[in-house]
Amino acid sequence: MIVGFLGTVIGLERAVALNKPWAYGAPLFAVLSAIAQLSALPAPWSQTFSVISSAILVAIFCFLWWHRHESYLVIIGLGALLWLVGNSLWLGDYPSFSSAGWWAGFLILTITGERLELSRLRRLSNISRLLLFLAIAVCIFGLSRTSIEEPGSRVAGAGLIAIALWLLRWDIAWRTIRLAGLPRFMAVSLLSGYVWLLAAGVFWIIYAADFIAGPHYDAMLHAIFLGFVVVMIFAHAPVILPSVMDVSMPFQNFFYAHLILLHLSLFLRIGGDLAESAPARMWGGLLNGVAILVFLANNICAVRIGYKAKEVGSVS
Amino acid sequence: MSVNKEQVFDALKRVYDPEIPVDVVNLGLVYEVLVEGDRIAVKMTTTASGCPVGNFIVAQAKRAIGRLEGVKEVEVALVYDPPWHEDMISEEGRRMLGWRT
Repeated sequence: MIVGFLGTVIGLERAVALNKPWAYGAPLFAVLSAIAQLSALPAPWSQTFSVISSAILVAIFCFLWWHRHESYLVIIGLGALLWLVGNSLWLGDYPSFSSAGWWAGFLILTITGERLELSRLRRLSNISRLLLFLAIAVCIFGLSRTSIEEPGSRVAGAGLIAIALWLLRWDIAWRTIRLAGLPRFMAVSLLSGYVWLLAAGVFWIIYAADFIAGPHYDAMLHAIFLGFVVVMIFAHAPVILPSVMDVSMPFQNFFYAHLILLHLSLFLRIGGDLAESAPARMWGGLLNGVAILVFLANNICAVRIGYKAKEVGSVS
Repeated sequence: MSVNKEQVFDALKRVYDPEIPVDVVNLGLVYEVLVEGDRIAVKMTTTASGCPVGNFIVAQAKRAIGRLEGVKEVEVALVYDPPWHEDMISEEGRRMLGWRT
């Protein structure tokens, strides 16, 4: 569901930027896929809609690349291609673990591409860009083997570690962390998410034989989907939500509460996975959900604070 | 007491794209500032067209300018012509980014 939701958001963002009617097919079919999944329609409906959505997203990036030859577009476009591969495997009735890696790759490359685009303000050398492309190539090669053989997960894990180290070394967040308020919150969130990506890479290597099901598989996936992806959502929500919903949502220090709770609960969950402790895994999972609820509540509180500030006469 | 352009630019120097450690003035995002009595009109851009942070920055800019004494009306428009380029970053902005000048 998280992949479908983010696929919709990413598709909508790119369709709005492109402003071509056909591009809106990407978010539209992503929404239809979600509706089909939630309704009583047979699975192929949802799967087919998701394949169409991701194919249109790939087309969007081909179009953007045709007009602007920028390296970050290649990375995000590759991410869309990984989403298409994962969705196609899902439509082909392959087991879910076959698609999971590709879906994770979609989100990782989309986020990495966006960070590369921002990091151009750091005047990166050609060698540093090459290193990132190499890391991504290793990751994709590994993903292409994960559903076939165990070493695939190890190779993909090595790629994840390399991507995480690149982000930890070159992301512009190391500069914005010096600015108080929202920039520091975003930077702390981003950098902490990269640490989870690094941990995920280590798990993919050590537990490669378990990339099918079970507690180690839970750790391998949730380090990425919660530790990296959801933390990215936490980081960007204070910017995206006001922009999309046209509300005032001033940054609040209590935003750190949901970030810290997510990290601590993920430690508990993954600690439980690795130690094979069912209670730790259960409580960790429960608290993951609480962290997301606290995130939603904190955002609503911030909107109310912004609304009250408007009422007492601040111009916004 | 009426506001002048310099005060508006000073106010905008407190506005940031939260992912970039340089304010919107030194980043070269502010294209035009018009002061007509108590009405301020600004044209600005983002580092990439269609960037979703655009509305966020516009709201921040309106808030910063609105706090100035003597300002009654603020209009901030996002434009993409000419497209922003790194050459538009000021010397101060390049120093903030750690570029060798």
